Amino acid sequence: MANIKLDIFRFDEATDTIPHRDVVEVDIPETITVLDALEHAKAEVDGSISFRRSCRSAICGSCSMNINGVTSLACKTNCKDVMDEDGSIQVDPMPNFQPMKDLVVHMDPFWDKYARLKPYLQPKDKDSDHERERRVSPDDMKKLVDVANCIMCATCYALCPVVSVDPAFAGPAAIAYAYRFIEDVRDSKRDERIAQISEDYLWLCAHCYACSYCPKHVDPNWRIVDVKRAAIKDRVLMNERGPRHALVVAKTIKQTGMLAETEVIQGTIGRFNIKGLVKITFLGAALGMRMALKGKMPPPFIKPIPKVDEVRTIFESLEVPVS
Amino acid sequence: MSTTLLPEDRAFDSHKSTRSREMKRYGFFPGCVAKESCKELFNSTMLLADKLGIELIELTAASCCGASVVNDVNRDVARVLNARTYAQAEALGLDDVITICSTCTGHMRAANKELLESEERMNQANSILGKFGAKYNGGVMVRHLLWLLIDDIGLDNLRSMVVRPLNGLKVAPFYGCHIIRPENVNGWESARNPHSLEDVIEALGGEAVDYAGKTRCCGFHIQLEKDNVAANMVGQNMRMAKDHGAEAVITPCPLCHLALDGYQQDSASRWGRTDLPTFHLPQLVAFALGVAPEKLGLNKHLIDPRTVMVQRDLIS
Ligand code: SF4
Ligand code: SF4
Ligand code: SF4
Ligand code: SF4
Ligand code: FES
Repeated sequence: MANIKLDIFRFDEATDTIPHRDVVEVDIPETITVLDALEHAKAEVDGSISFRRSCRSAICGSCSMNINGVTSLACKTNCKDVMDEDGSIQVDPMPNFQPMKDLVVHMDPFWDKYARLKPYLQPKDKDSDHERERRVSPDDMKKLVDVANCIMCATCYALCPVVSVDPAFAGPAAIAYAYRFIEDVRDSKRDERIAQISEDYLWLCAHCYACSYCPKHVDPNWRIVDVKRAAIKDRVLMNERGPRHALVVAKTIKQTGMLAETEVIQGTIGRFNIKGLVKITFLGAALGMRMALKGKMPPPFIKPIPKVDEVRTIFESLEVPVS
Repeated sequence: MSTTLLPEDRAFDSHKSTRSREMKRYGFFPGCVAKESCKELFNSTMLLADKLGIELIELTAASCCGASVVNDVNRDVARVLNARTYAQAEALGLDDVITICSTCTGHMRAANKELLESEERMNQANSILGKFGAKYNGGVMVRHLLWLLIDDIGLDNLRSMVVRPLNGLKVAPFYGCHIIRPENVNGWESARNPHSLEDVIEALGGEAVDYAGKTRCCGFHIQLEKDNVAANMVGQNMRMAKDHGAEAVITPCPLCHLALDGYQQDSASRWGRTDLPTFHLPQLVAFALGVAPEKLGLNKHLIDPRTVMVQRDLIS
């Protein structure tokens, strides 16, 4: 009896209009990886099954796919950890990408986001000015080692809910890679890079932590926060909604101890930006009116919490920017 | 698929048990939104606490937890603000802080984890708290009300307290993000396969609807950033819930609630009409436990949940 049943998404963009599924049974120990099971299916049962792979050890970044609906590297996922009681495992192409053939997808949008970063070092001076390599202190290097582990597998990009509704968003991997150059002391384009990634919607990250499932522990979600802090520190693109929002939240907490919703909305859109205020859905006629009718608008002013001076002491001790 | 967490994924404080549990007195951090736009959540929670026979002692001098946003400005401030809140709880003899907002839960737990795991950070926080005579000794555990319901009240107990069973109402659980992710911060249940909300729905006599959108983001935090993105995220998730037969949604987070309740109308052009009413977790539990429906603020919702409740003979 076959012990693993691969339930595979099948589609060929050259010939098919809609996908179908094939169940391929393979008789192999369940301690092997999903990638091994696919290799086995391809070698023994159906040579036309297509998927990407190379290293088989979580280094090349080729084999990310949906395994029982969870995006992961097939070579890093053990069959026994994911199979159902009857041994079945569903495999599908990564979401947020156009399928090409079976588990192979068009990666172009993902690479395009990298290309826009100019993902190479741009130092101030010429290599020839240096007798030897440019030295970086261990402390400066420490900031970069985790992001340098990115294998560009696109697992995070496939998991990102913002990418799924707005393909203009740079996505987690590209922002983490931007961080890799922004925080590199040898690079000379820090602020240009921050501006570039801000234009590619750095501030559209929804803080959902879906990309915390990066198989290489790059933690793009935290690197995105680092890039935002760099933007605020360097005061790049300060008139954008994102940084204004962060600063006005900080300001209302400093003043009242609470997040004053009304002031945050006005401060983010711009109190005198009437067009912006009308356009934004939250305050725009539709939702704003609907909420007001239900008595659901936040109060216009917030009474400070007791001992709010303690909160101010915290902000001042840490020199937190609030504007 | 395995639903339990591997030991290395378990939360940093999952071994802790607290005094509050035996005394049934808990520190309570309602968060800003439950005091501002979603007052019905605050009120339902207090009414539910009465029914459960527990005392929620509000930390009235606590500040905002900083949400995910203050982190974007400074890496330390949210941690120190929360240390101040924990010091207040400790001073009141409370070692359990209960939240009713996923975003509070996630970020307050993240701050606590950083404090408990790093002496340097704890010292930094205490050197600032010291300026106004406060100190945090590391004795607080932050939990969501959802976890309290399951750990301290217990599902069997909850089931036996139900006086108004939900008559098989098909409820879609909406976990959103910050009550489950990152797993090493929350770690109370598997973030990829959670079932606490399902367990509660079923204990109340409802039917839990399974759909892929239940652990996806609602987009609340970026609603002001770019038009329609949050609405589309809501539409995508609610479409999935509706297609799987949901009649209503339940969420442990008032921010998720604002997004789901507010944006379904705006997402209809791309995702079709869904019109799923969204209950705050304590609202639906309090209802099943016998709190009068008029007291739950159901009329405050943009998508009125009373319509489906009438259809299901839950109210007249
Ligand atoms: S950040 Fe992680 S998940 Fe994203 S592409 Fe790089 S290695 Fe893959
Ligand atoms: S945290 Fe941001 S970048 Fe990461 S998956 Fe969520 S929205 Fe996308
Ligand atoms: S996270 Fe949100 S609800 Fe929680 S305290 Fe902060 S602003 Fe209030
Ligand atoms: S779903 Fe939205 S509001 Fe809810 S926790 Fe996630 S980001 Fe926050
Ligand atoms: S085959 Fe290289 S990462 Fe999986």
